[in-house]
Amino acid sequence: MNLRSFRLRIALLSTILAGTALIGFSGVAWRLIYGAKVSRLDSRLENQIRRMARPLPPTLQPSIADDLQRNLDAESTDSVAWQVLDADGKPLQQSDHWLAEFDPPAVPPFQREQRSLTPLTPRRDRPFERRRPPPNLSSHSVTRRTDQGNWRIAAASTPQGQVAIAVSLQTITQEMGAIRNIFLIAIPGTLLVVAIGAWVLSGSALHPIRQLTAVMQKLTVTGLDQRVALGQTDVEFAELIQVFNQMLERLERSFMQASRFSADAAHELKTPLAILQGELELTLQQAAPGSALQQSLSSLLDEVRRLSGIVRKLLLLSLADAGQMGVHRVQLDLSEMLVVMVEDLELVAPHLTVQTEIDHELNVWGDRDLLNQVLQNLMSNAIKYNLPDGWIRIEARQKSASVQITITNASQPMSPEERDRLFDRFYRGDPARTRTIEGIGLGLSLSREIVLAHGGNLAIAQPSGDYTTFTLILPIHLLH
Amino acid sequence: MYILFVEDEAKIASFVQAGLKEQGFVVDYCDNGDQADQQALEQDYDVIVLDIMVPGKDGLAILKHLRRSGRNTPVILLTARNELDDRLEGLNLGADDYITKPFFVEELVARIHAVVRRSVGDRQNLLTVGALTLDRITREVSAHGQTVELTTREFNLLEYLMRSPGRVLTRTQILEHVWGYDFNPSTNVVDVCIQRIRKKIDLADNSSWIESVRGVGYLFRKTETGV
Repeated sequence: MNLRSFRLRIALLSTILAGTALIGFSGVAWRLIYGAKVSRLDSRLENQIRRMARPLPPTLQPSIADDLQRNLDAESTDSVAWQVLDADGKPLQQSDHWLAEFDPPAVPPFQREQRSLTPLTPRRDRPFERRRPPPNLSSHSVTRRTDQGNWRIAAASTPQGQVAIAVSLQTITQEMGAIRNIFLIAIPGTLLVVAIGAWVLSGSALHPIRQLTAVMQKLTVTGLDQRVALGQTDVEFAELIQVFNQMLERLERSFMQASRFSADAAHELKTPLAILQGELELTLQQAAPGSALQQSLSSLLDEVRRLSGIVRKLLLLSLADAGQMGVHRVQLDLSEMLVVMVEDLELVAPHLTVQTEIDHELNVWGDRDLLNQVLQNLMSNAIKYNLPDGWIRIEARQKSASVQITITNASQPMSPEERDRLFDRFYRGDPARTRTIEGIGLGLSLSREIVLAHGGNLAIAQPSGDYTTFTLILPIHLLH
Repeated sequence: MYILFVEDEAKIASFVQAGLKEQGFVVDYCDNGDQADQQALEQDYDVIVLDIMVPGKDGLAILKHLRRSGRNTPVILLTARNELDDRLEGLNLGADDYITKPFFVEELVARIHAVVRRSVGDRQNLLTVGALTLDRITREVSAHGQTVELTTREFNLLEYLMRSPGRVLTRTQILEHVWGYDFNPSTNVVDVCIQRIRKKIDLADNSSWIESVRGVGYLFRKTETGV
């Protein structure tokens, strides 16, 4: 599970919070309900104790259990028990299944109230009243655990001694069990609803961010000069967009500066280079053929050309960066260009085995000079980074709406890091291996820019052995 | 051949003019656009070499005006800044070719010949030096009466050398003309190519048409008989 997902964390946290609250509430509710039930039982017990406060004639004794069972809503007569003690604490009367474990709570001795002391005179209008009102006594209750479950035992002092009634808590336990079961079903159910709700809600809360991300992705691909539109965005995200736009602006500015710098520098270098080259060329013609002067002029001229080449590439790259690489498209026969280059291979690198599979009339709309440069760059790389007595394989074929050219050459195995950096500017591969190889490391990055400007792609294939494959894809039709 | 050369950078103008005159061109030089615009219409030049960035009317405007006036004089653009955009616009406006600074005057000369040839047709398609004849249209070469098969590169190289007999061309100049800017496996390719051409066109007992200039490059031998 990916806990770095904001959405997942929100959903999880909401569920945990809701769960804790729910469990807490149900715990408290459970206790309160239990307490309420027990205290109602207690007051019933107290009533029964009051009724039994006066000594009962032995004839009535068997019906006491029935009485208690009825009045206390007990399950059966076995669920109730009672005991009457005399003033000395000796059992006077008790039900058959009174257990010693019931151990009624200690109660203070009975105190006769003033009111209850007034002599009771038989009233004339109720001559048959058998009982006097029960004495106003208060009971104490306690819960005891026995072999037959929990019992609630209430006891109170009476004028004669002490009365205790025990009732099994089985009914209440059953009721509480039912309530607990309801909780056990309801809480996970509720939590599930909360979790789903939180997931959906956080998803919809993140929706604008996802939208924003999509827009930003598109922007960075298409160009730094664009901005995210504020439009109908929520207030919370408007700020984010503004910050992003400002960042884009800064980025664009520094990018433009860097790009303009190299363009300007390249341009400024061109004029002196042109003068240098022209003067050298002129002087070279005037020098005696083969003289030392002419030789040194010639080697100077080579260096000037090398400089010019670098300047030209830098300028092209800076144009590409600024998205201003102009492509003069004409119909080109790539097959023909490739065939001529294969002829060159035989001239330049007769030690290499060259295999070709070039289809005829692979026509594309492209810039002759620029594409020529790309192909030459790929070819010369294939020669430069080849193995001694290695091989080169060139394939070119049409694939639906594009032409695909693959140039494969034997090479030393390349690490993934090296491969990733291959299109970086001024990257020239492992210095230990490439020190003796000419070049400045601009060719591939420029080639890729040129191909991209043509709406194509240039990539290095995953090498799985001692060879390197470059795949060049160019669309046949004009992309406009 | 009568050429109008428009360029504001004096030093560049100086060596280009010198180079062109040396190769037998008659050059009118002009350092601002307005004057060049006027001159281009007044005179009947064989070729106009136009720098794009000149004071006054810029090169592209001059070209546009020229073409609007119905003149088909071949135009070669010299570009420096934003070369690609300028080149693109120039070619769209009807320029015949372009060349980027820095450039070899030798290359400019080759381009001038090429555009002139294209504009006047087949008149100059045959290049003959002694017993060696090169047909630019059919791309056929015959040496001592025998037709010789040359590859594209070999043909272009031979043509480049034959066009200016007696002039030393450096390996780099040849490489750039025949192969293009960025062909950089090694200048060795020129030597190999020259060897192959020699084998094909030279008679076994004869000394070579193409002379090596040690440490510099090659030159095509001027024949005693002349052209």
